[in-house]
Amino acid sequence: METLLNPSKTPNLFIPKTHLFKPYFLHSNFNPQPHSSFNRRPLSITITCKVKTSQGRKNDGKNISKKIVLTDSAPELSNEEIKAKPKGGGKAWGVIKKFPKRVLAILSNLPLAIGEMFTVAGLMALGTAIDQGESPEYYFQKYPEENPIFGFFTWRWVLTLGFDHMFSSPVFLGTLILLGTSLMACTYTTQIPLVKVARRWSFLQSADSIRKQEFSDTLPQASVSDLGVILMGAGYEVFLKGPSLYAFKGLAGRFAPIGVHLAMLLIMAGGTLSATGSFRGSVTVPQGLNFVMGDVLGPTGFLSTPTEAFNTEVHVNKFYMDYYDSGEVSQFHTDLSLFDMNGKEVMRKTLSVNDPLRYGGITIYQTNWSFSALQILKDGEGPFNLAMAPLTINGDKKLFGTFLLVGDTDSSNVKGISMLARDLQSIVLYDKQGKFAGVRRPNSKLPIEIDGTKIVIVDAIGSSGLDLKTDPGVPAVYAGFGALMLTTCISYLSHAQIWALQDGTTVIVGGKTNRAKAEFPDEMNRLLDQVPEIVESSISKKPDNIGG
Amino acid sequence: MIFSTLEHILTHISFSVVSIVITIHFLTLFLLVDEVVGLYDSSEKGMIVTFFCITGLLITRWIYSGHFPLSDLYESLIFLSWGFSLIHMVSYFKFKKRKNNLSAITAPSAIFTQGFATSGLLTKMHQSAILAPALQSQWLMMHVSMMVLGYAALLCGSLLSVALLVITIRKAIKIIGENNNFAFSFGKIQYMNERSNVLLNTYFLSSKNYYRYQLTQQLDRWSYRIISLGFIFLTIGILSGAVWANEAWGSYWNWDPKETWAFITWTIFAIYFHTRTNTNLEGVNSALVASMGFLIIWICYFGVNLLGIGLHSYGSFTLN
Repeated sequence: METLLNPSKTPNLFIPKTHLFKPYFLHSNFNPQPHSSFNRRPLSITITCKVKTSQGRKNDGKNISKKIVLTDSAPELSNEEIKAKPKGGGKAWGVIKKFPKRVLAILSNLPLAIGEMFTVAGLMALGTAIDQGESPEYYFQKYPEENPIFGFFTWRWVLTLGFDHMFSSPVFLGTLILLGTSLMACTYTTQIPLVKVARRWSFLQSADSIRKQEFSDTLPQASVSDLGVILMGAGYEVFLKGPSLYAFKGLAGRFAPIGVHLAMLLIMAGGTLSATGSFRGSVTVPQGLNFVMGDVLGPTGFLSTPTEAFNTEVHVNKFYMDYYDSGEVSQFHTDLSLFDMNGKEVMRKTLSVNDPLRYGGITIYQTNWSFSALQILKDGEGPFNLAMAPLTINGDKKLFGTFLLVGDTDSSNVKGISMLARDLQSIVLYDKQGKFAGVRRPNSKLPIEIDGTKIVIVDAIGSSGLDLKTDPGVPAVYAGFGALMLTTCISYLSHAQIWALQDGTTVIVGGKTNRAKAEFPDEMNRLLDQVPEIVESSISKKPDNIGG
Repeated sequence: MIFSTLEHILTHISFSVVSIVITIHFLTLFLLVDEVVGLYDSSEKGMIVTFFCITGLLITRWIYSGHFPLSDLYESLIFLSWGFSLIHMVSYFKFKKRKNNLSAITAPSAIFTQGFATSGLLTKMHQSAILAPALQSQWLMMHVSMMVLGYAALLCGSLLSVALLVITIRKAIKIIGENNNFAFSFGKIQYMNERSNVLLNTYFLSSKNYYRYQLTQQLDRWSYRIISLGFIFLTIGILSGAVWANEAWGSYWNWDPKETWAFITWTIFAIYFHTRTNTNLEGVNSALVASMGFLIIWICYFGVNLLGIGLHSYGSFTLN
């Protein structure tokens, strides 16, 4: 542990932070703080002893700090100091008082947070590698005990740890909760004091301390007020006090990480609300039929409470699909009418994919479709409705089929006409032997003759696959999303600080920045080039482009 | 018909130009003709030509197919190589004065992705396909373009970190190999850990080490900046994807493999930023995390598509 204390003739309290070795396990740190006051005090030294119980802060991170003031100057007030004084009597009370602080300190430990993040990432990766939501037999088969993966991973691991439903398992949720509490603790202990520090501005009073900055330069014939004007033109906020100058830019970049953490907490809270308080349901409704919302929606958690809107009746007026010229489906549409308990129509809208219907907090999405029935005329009689059944084939494409009995219905060997369809626009017909007979479109009304029977396809009745959902957490989550996007963008800004001191006719400039370290020297050089050089023979300044 | 031939021409031009640029870079590397500014200039012009070619290619596809050119794997690969050349352009124009080491990373990345996309592996995907109903949304432009740009920037940044690791490990192996006195090796470890100019002035002993230190420092800073940018894009991409999913499918997070892996990528780079807050772990450790991120991005972008399952199955392909 090194201490670098510079009790010099001028109040000079610069901390070259990089000189201090910060081995990981070290628990205390001796760190003199800059004194941000205006009056020049001879030999006023403030030693701040920080008792850190954990390492890994941002550069100026503060924790509980006790100040030992050596002179009679007024001590710098910080809130932490007052909190550190134990109030009340009794040892037990003191221990209880310290307990939340200890927990807080443990939780805001950075390596713990990093470890938690790694754990979350690893669990998520495992969750994608192991198939989720299958029956136990599947896992018995896939991870057998006779032949364990890596020598130990069997189905017992999967089922006891809940890896078959990883994303709602206690292990995963517990790690997420721990991460959330770490977030809260870290924001409270580290980030908020950081705000206080960053807002304090301090002047550096000695040329040496300025030279020790990351970037430093000397301008031989210049004036510090010219530098101030140039910096102001470049967007810095400049403070000038006598011969010394302090300028900064991009302070928002220091605050934005707090915003990021708060936004994440908001998202987590909203997500928890969604998980415990929403209703979900899905239904496939043939064209022309109704359903009541409340019948279809089921709760997902213990906070779910139904609303008045659940009594609404939904009527599917029409379901139709749009097609490309090549025959592929381009869009699904469902024309819906909503009726309230009294039978009055309250809403009418045509849904499609990416365009849901919103009513009373409930949202209806078009997610699927099915073939309900085929309406045909047989030999001029009818119309008959033949129910279409889904046939299983590989791939995404659907296939539906139905069967029309022809001839003797009592014999054991029944024969008939088969009709298959991939979508609602064309039906393929096969005769009694299973040979291809023809293709008909429902709106053409053209008859087809198969084995002596005349068939006319009147209509193809589809059914709409709808998903219903109500989610109280969505506003919070969306707000969190917006905040996260905004604060992440802002935290890209770099907080640059510049100090300068007028020493006779030379100006000594030093600066540092926290993010854009690569570009900072170039930017500084560009700015310094613009500072005019004072030529000694004349009082008026010649704006030369020659700088330090 | 003109559009498809135009597309073909642009693809081939961009591919050949980038190969020439790569060859020039390798020549300068092996023949050590660093001082030949003319060659460097022509390689920079070559990259500019490539950028315009790929832009033209994307615009042609856009006009021809009627939808934003990001609907399947082939188009997203072209977009990724466009992202690389865009990063190259931006860094070139921002830092015109100094020679930029970044081009050594972006140019090969652009060519490899371009080459893979146009190679025989994915021939059947070259024609523009029609868009499934779920993809017909304005969100497509924002979500996918942000994600792919984010991947491009993060890949660049993690490659820079890998380069930093390679240099540092080679140096470390040399230190262990050399039987130096304690002070010398102590000094090297010092400046690997510290950023202070003062210590540097007192401890480095040879100019070769100084240049190498400069290089690692420059790589470190560049990778930090680029990964920050990529992280912003990735965040916006993931969040806009979640909002789109809510509009289209009713729920903003489905633990779909692709979504989960994008979240894992986001987490790894968040870990990268947090390791950098502590100056102890800066440098090598954060570079290690970023290198892990490189692998994870490829798993996220490519590996999940190989599975072909889940809500993101548009991006899948089969190797035939």
